[in-house]
Amino acid sequence: MSAANPVVPSVPAIPAAGEATKHPSRRGLQVAWIVTLLALMAMGIGAFAYQYANGLVVTGMRNVVMWGQYILFFMFFVGLSAGGLIVASAGRLFGVKAFKPITRLAVLEATVAVILAATFILPDLGRPERVLNIPLYFNITSPMIWDIAIVMVYMAMSASYVWLYARADLARRGSWLALGTGTSERTMAREERAKGAMAWIALPAAILLHSITAWIFGLQISRGFWYSSIMAPMFIASALVSGLGLVILLALLLRRLGRLSFRDDLVALLGGLLGMFVVVEAFLILAEYLTALYPGAPEGAAAARMLSGPYLPLFLFEVVVGLGVPFLILAIRPLRRRPAWVALASAIGIVGIFVHRLNLVQNGLSFPNIELPPGLPVGVPQDGSSFAESYFYVPTAIEWMVVIGIIAGGALLFTAAVAYLPMQEPEAH
Amino acid sequence: MTEPKVRPVDALSPASRAWGEIGPRSDQPRWGMVVDQERCIGCWSCAVICKSENDVPLGMWWNRILTEGDALDQPMVSEGGGLEMHWLPLACQHCENAPCVKVCPVQATYHRSDGIVMQDSDRCIGCRYCMIACPYGVRNFNWGAPVRPTPHETGMVTARPLGTVEKCTMCVQRLADDQIPSCVWSCPTGARIFGDHNDEDGRMATLIREREGTMLLEAAGTRPAVRYLPPRRRSPL
Repeated sequence: MSAANPVVPSVPAIPAAGEATKHPSRRGLQVAWIVTLLALMAMGIGAFAYQYANGLVVTGMRNVVMWGQYILFFMFFVGLSAGGLIVASAGRLFGVKAFKPITRLAVLEATVAVILAATFILPDLGRPERVLNIPLYFNITSPMIWDIAIVMVYMAMSASYVWLYARADLARRGSWLALGTGTSERTMAREERAKGAMAWIALPAAILLHSITAWIFGLQISRGFWYSSIMAPMFIASALVSGLGLVILLALLLRRLGRLSFRDDLVALLGGLLGMFVVVEAFLILAEYLTALYPGAPEGAAAARMLSGPYLPLFLFEVVVGLGVPFLILAIRPLRRRPAWVALASAIGIVGIFVHRLNLVQNGLSFPNIELPPGLPVGVPQDGSSFAESYFYVPTAIEWMVVIGIIAGGALLFTAAVAYLPMQEPEAH
Repeated sequence: MTEPKVRPVDALSPASRAWGEIGPRSDQPRWGMVVDQERCIGCWSCAVICKSENDVPLGMWWNRILTEGDALDQPMVSEGGGLEMHWLPLACQHCENAPCVKVCPVQATYHRSDGIVMQDSDRCIGCRYCMIACPYGVRNFNWGAPVRPTPHETGMVTARPLGTVEKCTMCVQRLADDQIPSCVWSCPTGARIFGDHNDEDGRMATLIREREGTMLLEAAGTRPAVRYLPPRRRSPL
């Protein structure tokens, strides 16, 4: 499609914020949605309190697999955040005007996702009340410190990015959130420049954010499955698949709710882009597995394990379902042109990336380096031997409750932001 | 850095004191240990006394004995057709290039000036990144409230709280009193030799040199202070 053509909205008028609430049946739905989210949050807080009182023994983690659900969702949400912002800011930076209708949404999604990611760190800590030790005694050689630093910078940056996009509308509405800025021609020109400048910061920041998250894992020589220079590129590819997938899903959802308007052309365009990202991810996985397996050396044991036993279904899901199916849907032009199919491909892609990350954590940790009996002490008293030669991690209900509670909090934040901030980017420059 | 709160070694009988003293050392000792796999009989004495000495809760082991065989109680068939079985006592390797020290976000794990890798339980936030980074799997996390077989604390150390990581300290509470670690004096076959890496003429350094002592997972580049003397005997049964 030509970028010069003005995009004609497929819905006639965009209702102002709050207008939708006048519809009585929709109003009831909204209340039910908010109440559900609040209830899920309360459940999560309760589960976290229970975990805090009893220790991480209530999770499925043990000395062998000592990182689980929380770290998994941390990196998953960092990916969702980085992916969305990379697409939005690259579109801005390289003047892809077609992306404009979803830019605000992508920036908002990135902000909410990174807040969620940071939140997932807290329940993972054995001593969450000591979290201030991080700024007090930070160790500059720790990739975790690099990551916390970039998450903080990124969070501030994406929040100000959201503000920059909403500023003019807030000023028009007379909101104090406009921070005293107006809508004079000069201010608008300045805003346009600031948005352009922001893209220059946001793109590298988003790439750096997810690369550093990858390096938390990829720099550890102790974990053969992770210790690879492909980790950072692979994390970026995963982020692009899952992040863009979520932006597509949210955009279609908001269009259905009448909060955003764009033509189906854009969905096909984004779907094509998503298909390309899926190919890149698949290519990097192929390169990684081939390199690990070819020598037949002990270093490739973890990759070989992925292709047998309990891991094989997970690997097949990651590759065949998670990448193959979305690729087929998105590569077939008639399907790509239908938003419902693109939405399906996006949803499968997101789940596939989640399983990819699950495999990374689970298989990366399940087997200790020194594979001799009786193995590692599990760390808690139990019947029989206190040792385990390998460990298959299964998250407990408590972990799921905490995770769902945090995600519900994010959904509430997103809902509030969408209800309050205009999502439609005006067409004219 | 805060040293762990330790009480002096005062419960030892004079007899074990007498032969538990640290021998000659250099001006700037770098403490280490060598494990003679030829002497080790896999009796787990050192693992058990470690639990008692350091008040290690149920489900955790700072020190454990791995079997180099076919299974825990199964010898392997050697190249010559005979049966073979060895043991690999494994605890913190007190690496010079310690991955755990590098990754700890709050400097809760650190090197003492004598090379011992310590864990500050008062500072640890329980992120378990050190356990990820450790190639040897020798760190334990207090997943739940520590459970002990008796209501009494054992050993000369303070208990580590819920939600923190703990591991072998080379019995710093004993070193402070000029005593060798408990796993060393308790070994019935004398398979563990404690010493100073900087004392080149010392018994430990000499053994490492003459018997070509090896480092565990040497390719990881961690430069452990604990070395192993591989078994030489290959007598077919």
